[in-house]
Amino acid sequence: MKHCFSLLSPPHLLRGCLIAWILFLSACGPSAPSKSTETGADNQAVVAPKDTITIALIPKKKGLPYFTSCASGAEAAAQELGNVTLIYDGPTDGSPEKQASMIEQYALKGVDVIAVSPNDPDVVAPAMRKAREKGIHVIAWDADAVTDARSFFVNQSTAQAIAYGMVDTMVRDLGGPEIRAQVAIVTAYLTAANQNIWIEHMKTRMADTYPNLELVAIKPSDEDQKLAFKVTQDLMKAYPDIKGFFGISSVSFPGAAEAVKQAGESGKVMVTGLATPNSMKAYVKDGTVKSVVLWNTAELGYLTVQVGAALAQGALKAGETTFEAGKLGTKQIEGDHVLLGDILVFTKDNIDQYDF
Amino acid sequence: MNPSGSKPNVQQAWLSLLRSRTAGLACFTTLILVWMSLWNPTFLAWSNMRDIAVAAAPVCIISCGLMLVLVLGEIDISVGSMMGVLAAAMGAMASASRWHLPPGVAMVGTLILGVCIGAINGWLVAYLKVPSIMVTLGMLTALRGVTEVIMGGQWITDLPPELRYLGTGSWLEIPICLWVTATVVLISLWLIHRSTLGRRIYAIGSHPKAARLAGLPIARTQCLVFAWTGFLTAVATLVSVPQLSVVDSGIGVGMELLVVTCVVVGGTAVSGGIGNLTGVLLGALLMTMISTVLIFMKLGENATYWSKAIQGLFILGAILLEPWTRSRKKP
Amino acid sequence: MKARLPSWLMNPESLLIGLGMAFWLIMGKLDHSFLQWEVQQELSTHIWETALMALPMTLIILTGGIDLSIGSIMSLSAVTAGLLHQAGWPMPMGCLAAMVVGMACGWFNGWFITRFKVHPLMITLASMAAFRGIAEGVSQARPLSGFPESFTRMGNDVWLGLPIAGWIFAGSLAMAAWIMHAHRLGRCIHAIGYNEQAARFSGLRVDRMLLGLYTLSGLSAAMAAILFMARRNTAKADIGAGVELGVITAVVMGGVSIFGGRGTLAGVCLGLFLIHETREFVSWHWSRDELNLLALGVLLILSVVFQQLLGHKRAS
Repeated sequence: MKHCFSLLSPPHLLRGCLIAWILFLSACGPSAPSKSTETGADNQAVVAPKDTITIALIPKKKGLPYFTSCASGAEAAAQELGNVTLIYDGPTDGSPEKQASMIEQYALKGVDVIAVSPNDPDVVAPAMRKAREKGIHVIAWDADAVTDARSFFVNQSTAQAIAYGMVDTMVRDLGGPEIRAQVAIVTAYLTAANQNIWIEHMKTRMADTYPNLELVAIKPSDEDQKLAFKVTQDLMKAYPDIKGFFGISSVSFPGAAEAVKQAGESGKVMVTGLATPNSMKAYVKDGTVKSVVLWNTAELGYLTVQVGAALAQGALKAGETTFEAGKLGTKQIEGDHVLLGDILVFTKDNIDQYDF
Repeated sequence: MNPSGSKPNVQQAWLSLLRSRTAGLACFTTLILVWMSLWNPTFLAWSNMRDIAVAAAPVCIISCGLMLVLVLGEIDISVGSMMGVLAAAMGAMASASRWHLPPGVAMVGTLILGVCIGAINGWLVAYLKVPSIMVTLGMLTALRGVTEVIMGGQWITDLPPELRYLGTGSWLEIPICLWVTATVVLISLWLIHRSTLGRRIYAIGSHPKAARLAGLPIARTQCLVFAWTGFLTAVATLVSVPQLSVVDSGIGVGMELLVVTCVVVGGTAVSGGIGNLTGVLLGALLMTMISTVLIFMKLGENATYWSKAIQGLFILGAILLEPWTRSRKKP
Repeated sequence: MKARLPSWLMNPESLLIGLGMAFWLIMGKLDHSFLQWEVQQELSTHIWETALMALPMTLIILTGGIDLSIGSIMSLSAVTAGLLHQAGWPMPMGCLAAMVVGMACGWFNGWFITRFKVHPLMITLASMAAFRGIAEGVSQARPLSGFPESFTRMGNDVWLGLPIAGWIFAGSLAMAAWIMHAHRLGRCIHAIGYNEQAARFSGLRVDRMLLGLYTLSGLSAAMAAILFMARRNTAKADIGAGVELGVITAVVMGGVSIFGGRGTLAGVCLGLFLIHETREFVSWHWSRDELNLLALGVLLILSVVFQQLLGHKRAS
């Protein structure tokens, strides 16, 4: 054991550190020359048209089928444009810190565009700003970031429209605004930024337009389908009069639907929420779920890549009101939001047309 | 230390029972049940009790294995990731859009995979003498990555009805997973009290040096216990994952902590040598019941933010009971 | 085979140095841009918080204990500072309060370990759940941000080639090294790790030292929280989730025996370095996050297997 101690005694340690430091510095080469840029009027560096554009597409959580389908649309756009290299990578655990680290890495690598769907806008904002300072175009997609940290936000629909859409769908499924009903929301983590914004808008909608709906509980499922199942089961027992559940995450929606189905309440207790049509197809077919709220995810990915490529080539600048998005046609730009369009509601009638 | 003969044996037995962890947990569980029945009588309904038991089933099954691991003086924090990988493998094997193997093959395949992963853990610990926390920590990370790779960004939504039956079916009004849990518990009881292996596990756990000097096959026992835990994790996967129709990639995240907490709350000593199956099962039931209790108590929206704190304080309370219920041993 | 290799080659630290150099060569071969100074400097910001918490964790594991609650202490301290800032307190006071909260949490753990002889694994497992729950309840799961720039500069500024967080770590490392080698406490920690009973009988104030170590661990978690808040300009109840695993991985990879008594700070630094570089490089070169998890797990298992094979025996 003596040699262990002596290895770390101050003189040896110091010597070791010095040698290691020198080795390290010599191994590290000189920094790459910074991107040649001209500053445009909007303080965002404008880059001349390039041969290949590298776009880094960062989802909230890699491995979620929702984002995988967005990525397929993005890939299609990259193929179509021809000069775009798409990198699709994101944290498999949905950690905002990991996302921020990835943004920093891509900024160092010198990609042209970083498109991120932030798990937590505040955590990734500093990294996004740093990337912008380096001359990289940073856009948000699917979920908005802090306004001054990105040049555009590719929005499938406003958070308000999504929330209102879910509430309206629930009311329609229940049979109309005159029906008195207790409803509950099964969310992801209590700290999930997106879900919290939706919940706020949902509460507003219920209070203003549908006073007959009573929100009895908001429970987290911590991205655990089993927990969503259990929570829904318990809520049905604790509130026997409950008539509707909102499963507002890809994991809580199927869990809640399964609980309603196993309790034999299919068709009596409504379940709606946000999830990919494939994960809910079985429930829609057997009547447990009447409507699934989402949007065309492949088009969202496609649009994001189009916007990114246009930015990199200087074809899209701040202040424009329309955008030509390849095969999607003309898209409206409100302020700095590029709008995809409306939410989609999948029902028994149209769910077979979609495969994602 | 009582001088022999000064107290009747029956009284001694009762005292030690009362001071035991199991009794404390049983009392606590009964208290909660009584409290809840006053607050909201539907809590005691058969359907609710059944659902709580079904939710606790996978935790109970894995706890049976993990308890033996802890008694042995080791630890296994990879069970959560193991469950994830086994669920992904089971789904991939059985799903019509993936490998499309017959459901029976998928079931057997999952069990074999569970045993294999457990055996790898056991081999590293027993024959390469790597401390179990390091092995299982590495496994925890690596297997989570493997799960993501198997899933490939798509969840499995088309499990065959035979597999779903394992999760949702009932026999004689009792869900299949409860039958399986009961079987596993009975086997574990037999293992602990009646088999040589059980005696060896406790012996090795209480005093590894003495066990080695006595010639007990330590390496083989360690390997077996880890493989057994892997097998039980596979069993738990088979009866709990098909309860849901979608196999997602986040299955099992955090499960290891939950199981270790149940086992520890149930009175198993982390240092090895002490372990009591009843306590573990009660611990698992209690932990599962907390969230249901909180929902039934209808404490309002603000209270939801405190539910994690209540659960944490509850675990803290259960663990802090330990010094008071520990029997005084001679140094 | 053991007899042929000189003894100084056979300890885990040498293995780690060898592994580190091998990795550098491979990384350089595969993707030279990764080894640029600017890149390394910026990427290093990801590791300082873990590194800071790894120092007291090393000392604790050397005594045969463990602390699983550092992530939760981190979140509770951050939430404290965030809420006080929101209430109008000046930032330095908020940070001080965060450190006090961190030390209190650490002291809580230590008190139950020393006074009531609860096993560290059990109590820190429970306090891990409890502290995070309290953080969530107190903050109502809401994010707290908008810290003044004078504060966030601390997370992003660079002095003489090293980010400020790096200097804080260097200072703590120097202090830890001094404790371990020049101060009596270091030898006492090793003694407690080898045999706590014997240490007690030798007259060492074991309880006081353990209490101090766990309090120190709580303090380091609070400091890590402050660094995180400065870097990411946000305080929330879910920060630091899972960070204890990263810290323990770094410590055990550094050759510290989980049973106590054997281990060096140099090894832990090397372990941190290896994990950090592996994680960043896998992300950098392959851009597939799932490979990252796999690589890290395999790295850990392989390195401990090699440590065992090279003759480092378990303390019985």
